[in-house]
Amino acid sequence: MRKFTNRLIAILFFMGPLLAQAQAPVTGRVLDEKGQPVVGATVLVKGAKSGTKTDANGNFTIDAKAGDVLVISSVNFGSQQTKVKSGGNVTVNMVAKDGTMDEVVVTAMDIKKAPRELGYAIQTIKGSEVAETQRENFINGLQGRVAGLSVTPTTGTAGASSGIILRGFNTLSGTNQPLFIIDGIIVDNTTFNSNSQGGSGVGLASDGNNRNIDNTNRIADLNPNDIESYTILKGPEATALYGSQASSGAIVITTKRAKLTGKKIAVTYDNNFRMQKLTRFADVNNEYSAGISNNTPFTSTTATGSFTSFGPKWPAGTKLYDNVNNFYETGFSQTHNLGLEFGIKNLGFRASGQYLNNSGVVPNNFYKKYSGRISNTTKIGKYITLTPSVAYSYADNKKPTKGTSSYLMSLYQWPANNDIQRYQDDYGAKLTLFNANPNADFDNPVWSTKNNIMGDITRRWIATMGIDIKPFEWLNVAGRFGYDTYKTDGYIMIHPQSFYLTAGTLGTLENYYTTYKGYNHTITASAKKEWKGFSGRLLVGTMWQDFETQQYAVVGNGIADSVVGGKIYKYGNIVNSWNPTDSNLTAPGSRVRLQRAASKGLPNLKIFREIAYFGEVSLGYKNVVFLTYSQRFEKASPIPPKNNNYNYPGASMSLIVSDIFPILKKGEIIDYFKLRASLANTARLNDPYTNQRVFVPNQSSSTTPGGTFTYSFTNNNPDLVPERQSTYEVGTEIRFFNGRITLDAAYYNTLNTKQISQGFRASYATTAVLNTTNAASLRNEGVELTLNLTPVKRKNFNWNINFNFSHMWSKVLTLPESIGPLNDYYNSDTYISNVRGGLIRGFSTGTITGSTYQRNPAGQILINAGTGLPLFNGGNQLIADRNPDFTLGTLNTFRYKNWTLSFLWDLKVGGDIYNGTDQVLTRIGKSARTANRNNAIIVDGVLNDGLQNTNNPTKNTIVIIPNFLSTYYTTMPDEEFIEKM
Amino acid sequence: MKNKIIKPIFFLGMLGVVLATSCTKKVDDAYLNPNSPVIVPIETILPGVIGGFTAFFSSNGTGYGVQADGILLGRYIQYWGTQSNGELYGQMGFPVGTASDNTGGLWAAVYYGHGGNVNRIIEWGAEQQKWDYVGVGNAIRAWGWLELTNCYGDAILKEAFNTSLTQFKYDTQEEFYDSCRVVCHRAISYLNRTDGAVSQANLAIGDAFFYNGDVTKWKKFVYGILARSFINLSGKNNFISKGYADSAIKYANLSLATNADNASVKVTGGLTSAVTNYFGPFRGNIGAIRQSAYIADLMSGNNTQAFNGIPDPRRYYMLRENLNGTFKGFTPWLGASGVGASDYPRNFWGTTLPTSTAVPSPDSSRYLYQNTSPWPMMTASEIQFIIAEAAYIKGDKPLALTAYANGISLNFDMITTTYPQNVPTVFAITPANKTAYLTAVVPGVATSLTLSQIMLQKYIALYGWGVQQTWTDMRKYHYTDIDPASGNQVYANFIPPSGLNLISTNNGNLVYRCRPRYNSEYLYNIPELTRLGALNTDYNTYKTWFAIP
Repeated sequence: MRKFTNRLIAILFFMGPLLAQAQAPVTGRVLDEKGQPVVGATVLVKGAKSGTKTDANGNFTIDAKAGDVLVISSVNFGSQQTKVKSGGNVTVNMVAKDGTMDEVVVTAMDIKKAPRELGYAIQTIKGSEVAETQRENFINGLQGRVAGLSVTPTTGTAGASSGIILRGFNTLSGTNQPLFIIDGIIVDNTTFNSNSQGGSGVGLASDGNNRNIDNTNRIADLNPNDIESYTILKGPEATALYGSQASSGAIVITTKRAKLTGKKIAVTYDNNFRMQKLTRFADVNNEYSAGISNNTPFTSTTATGSFTSFGPKWPAGTKLYDNVNNFYETGFSQTHNLGLEFGIKNLGFRASGQYLNNSGVVPNNFYKKYSGRISNTTKIGKYITLTPSVAYSYADNKKPTKGTSSYLMSLYQWPANNDIQRYQDDYGAKLTLFNANPNADFDNPVWSTKNNIMGDITRRWIATMGIDIKPFEWLNVAGRFGYDTYKTDGYIMIHPQSFYLTAGTLGTLENYYTTYKGYNHTITASAKKEWKGFSGRLLVGTMWQDFETQQYAVVGNGIADSVVGGKIYKYGNIVNSWNPTDSNLTAPGSRVRLQRAASKGLPNLKIFREIAYFGEVSLGYKNVVFLTYSQRFEKASPIPPKNNNYNYPGASMSLIVSDIFPILKKGEIIDYFKLRASLANTARLNDPYTNQRVFVPNQSSSTTPGGTFTYSFTNNNPDLVPERQSTYEVGTEIRFFNGRITLDAAYYNTLNTKQISQGFRASYATTAVLNTTNAASLRNEGVELTLNLTPVKRKNFNWNINFNFSHMWSKVLTLPESIGPLNDYYNSDTYISNVRGGLIRGFSTGTITGSTYQRNPAGQILINAGTGLPLFNGGNQLIADRNPDFTLGTLNTFRYKNWTLSFLWDLKVGGDIYNGTDQVLTRIGKSARTANRNNAIIVDGVLNDGLQNTNNPTKNTIVIIPNFLSTYYTTMPDEEFIEKM
Repeated sequence: MKNKIIKPIFFLGMLGVVLATSCTKKVDDAYLNPNSPVIVPIETILPGVIGGFTAFFSSNGTGYGVQADGILLGRYIQYWGTQSNGELYGQMGFPVGTASDNTGGLWAAVYYGHGGNVNRIIEWGAEQQKWDYVGVGNAIRAWGWLELTNCYGDAILKEAFNTSLTQFKYDTQEEFYDSCRVVCHRAISYLNRTDGAVSQANLAIGDAFFYNGDVTKWKKFVYGILARSFINLSGKNNFISKGYADSAIKYANLSLATNADNASVKVTGGLTSAVTNYFGPFRGNIGAIRQSAYIADLMSGNNTQAFNGIPDPRRYYMLRENLNGTFKGFTPWLGASGVGASDYPRNFWGTTLPTSTAVPSPDSSRYLYQNTSPWPMMTASEIQFIIAEAAYIKGDKPLALTAYANGISLNFDMITTTYPQNVPTVFAITPANKTAYLTAVVPGVATSLTLSQIMLQKYIALYGWGVQQTWTDMRKYHYTDIDPASGNQVYANFIPPSGLNLISTNNGNLVYRCRPRYNSEYLYNIPELTRLGALNTDYNTYKTWFAIP
């Protein structure tokens, strides 16, 4: 339930980058033959390796002295040289090779290609565009900028994780997250998993679920200001070379490198301050007092029922509190970025640093981050270029735990006549509402944010090394080596008086660390050759991935020794706070550790390794027809050794129709018209060890030293094979009116077979509860359109609109036969109350299942002839489809001289929403829909009297007054809370 | 110059080759889970499996076994009820259409808690020639088949434990009974072996909390399972003609003879749920449960047709007094409704305030309701009632009478020796009041004995722990069958819910089986459930095979 993410209003202060430069530069402008600016052309001082690029207006600034020769080059214009005259500006007119104004794009394996060669969809975003959104988790800045990409932040707290999906869900239970690649190196984007499968995996010793705890997704450790560009590879065609890890797409990040030449230093600094206030909450009805049901006042001395508001109206004059608004604070964040660039001859350096401090809207929640990075470009001799980099980041995140429901839910439920700000006594002990026993009384949300807490600190290093050797014009050998490592130290502490614990527990504390060590390298050799109008390119390569996660966790009870008379004692003293990083606080006998720690004193491990070989052949003819074929051979560790060698092909074609038939370009309407098609397979893997049966600790009484063991939930599957995904895609790119209008359209069709279902609940007769098995197939189709318009283009004023449209549809083709025709397959992490993201054969992959009204064939709701209340079907029937009809991102950019204003609308049309908040509020008598409960109503429907299925069913005429029949509210089926958009 | 080019390329090439060969092996090496064992000593598996008789407790799942189910099933047989009016199980219902695993605990225990673990004990035990472990494994499996089918009727037998299937065919109860007996005999043959690595001391490592390595007692337990498998057919027309009655007596005579032979799961006690009794105050599972009016009346001499006017000294152990110091109880479908304040029974832990669900301090719990109570799985007393019932039906009244008297006596002795805790001295069982009671309820002549007396004394002797067996007994007498000798119901004055108090989805019928465990079968074994009718709202009323004459 993402309640407050949609309810944030962000006030953005943005100060543009301040550029301080050591010496006066040479400025200039690059124009095409029609006098239009050439964007992104490279400008170099002859003899230097790094230079600058022209901006959106064709302008550039470079340090050069009179007499230097500038080399200006652009893919579609070739190269041109001009001499710098003393003090003068430079204007260069370039002649297009073919009238298109393409840039080079970085594709898989750090290979740069001209877009015209590509037989598949590719979208590139400037790093600055995302950085300027100033989001604490920069991933959120990608939303709306790419057709078919959707970002989902989990909560609105500081340090919250965000998920990214490219082109919809393709796998039932594996990850749908894309792979992140920085400068050719795979980097980790894991979100910590609380579930340790009974201590046998990487997770918490308390073996929790992932619904109650959120941790940052680790790509947020990056500094977005270090990023030059993002290339989004959406289809498996583009990612076939990255292998099974990238079967949900890849986000290829190119970092900034020093551009300056000579002994010059450039320093940049910018900052950003942001405030955050929650303003939109659910409509709550606070008129009624606490009561379990039927207008009966609440009298019990136990907490049970105290949080339902089915009592009489509050007596006049009762002081009521706005607890919701009183709880949330104003969030504040500040970011400071420092950049430094300098170069000496064949050496270029770039150093950067960032400081981010974000305090959330929930009390006691913050996210702090420091990061620094140094990158270098070194040219050795004529043929070798080295591009090393090293980055460090430190992230400190503290947040309250969520318990079994969120703060917002607790706040809505909290009796309105109680002030939540009164939450503790003079000794810091919990004040109770109804029950003398604090452990039986619900936790006050304010008290909870102070006392049920979790936090983690992550220190991360990412080191990369690029080696490029280019001995001949036709041969390039490249190596990319990367080491990505971090350590997270975390804790979760629950107060001895919390509702979530029994009194005897005396508080719990879990301390853990996660150490990730990821090494990977890619070595490629590519050769190219041109003859008689043909161009050919051959690439062969190998990739090695070795990722290891170590996890240590210990959880124990008894952070207090006793609670006497409401006072909490530890070591004989009254205490009201603890050092949560001190695992010695817990009672030694109560401590539980992960399994490898219990048996060997070592952390649990999760190791993923993969070796791959791949090759790609590209053939072009006269720069108008391009064919590419690739094949990748892989061997990966999660799959049983007998099945872990597999391979898959990919092929693509690109036709530049406007060049094949130049007549199309006559009349100056169409500049460029490309058709493309591609076809590719890829594989997808399970998580390590999920198909293996192991023994987990059993705590039954025993005398066996070292404890007793019984089998884990998950069944063995020695026959598991990789999932297969095959996609074909056709598309076109058209540019009109000198690039004032560009259109990119794509249709894709993905068939996923042998889907690996993890946690599949086959019969216990398997001896197991859960199974990892190749279980199902589904098809995913979609249309993506990217339209770029430049309605106004003047010297000093420019208006650009970019539309990203996406429409997806999908179908579950097969599920295991053991699932009934209308029964759903579901993943247990998608459960909310009874409602879940269940999949049903023949329906989309976005269906929601839950309880429904009973209806006759005519669709009328059946009413219990005795009570006048509707009848229900429990369990899980189809009630909604989350898939939107379409999404449309609209990015407007206005430029006036050097000022730029941009804003983005992200529109989602259609797609049902399950309003779980309203369901809970209805069941406790707090929803706005319970406001008029004293009005007599007749539920619209027909009586279930035997005539209901005939042509003349009996219309319901039974009058009910919900105030005296609160089951009317408490039993409403899930179906009632679906909001059709 | 050339070297400058060739050398790095050569180096990179060589590096690639070296890495590739070592990498292939490293990939395979990383396949297995390094954190958890895939092989453990069978001595370390058996304790968890024994815990799985009552309430399994592992890092991957807890509560599977007879105890959690028993709290619910005990309402069908009116051992107890909850405080709420119109309670589902009190109305002989089950959670129709909802994703509940209620009464699926035994299913999980047999297929999962015991399932693969028992298979490994048998398989690895045979490899290691630990025939005693193999015998114990088979004994537990045999127990599982019988208890499973008694509870659920049709279930998975032939295809069970096939780890590569995703859907399973069900087999009939009759086939389960046959298989159970086959496995019993197999267990006996292994338990008889003394060769190989058989060792009482070694068996005691795994078996510390059941029989402590005593294979003789394990054999008696297995014979008891066989005896149960025959006596459960006493309602069948061919009970005598097929020799089932004789078999029941034969195996009962080989089974538990004294209370020292009693099969019970013990716990160490302590401050974790895993090592404390599911019914005890630490775990807090039965605070809302109260004894039924039926058992309270039966043991207070208030049943007009059985033991009328003969208060049972065992009631101070098994039941709880109210504020009046008397024994009254709930009607399961009515809960606390209609029970006067001073008639309101205290909870089984004896909390002073009768309506309270809390735990008293200091702990004053008795009988099976203590933190460390041993939980009987089979008692010598039960075996005597098996003999009594079989002999009675066969017409051997003298044998029936002897066994009947023994059954009551053994139960008295078990209570006084194993569960004397927290019973006030003034209410304690003494040789005198035991003898007085026996004299009152045991007829002087064998011909005066009735089937009703036998079954009601068994009903009492199994109170609390023998829910599943008592339910089987009551179903084979269809709850309200008439004892021809007395002209009254076998379960005298037992009134099952009817009319509005019988859950409407039962279509007027009484409950005869549980549905299979929801999360095991109702998600993903639909075709077979459809074939059986298990998706029907009245599947719980489908008569089991043993209840069909």
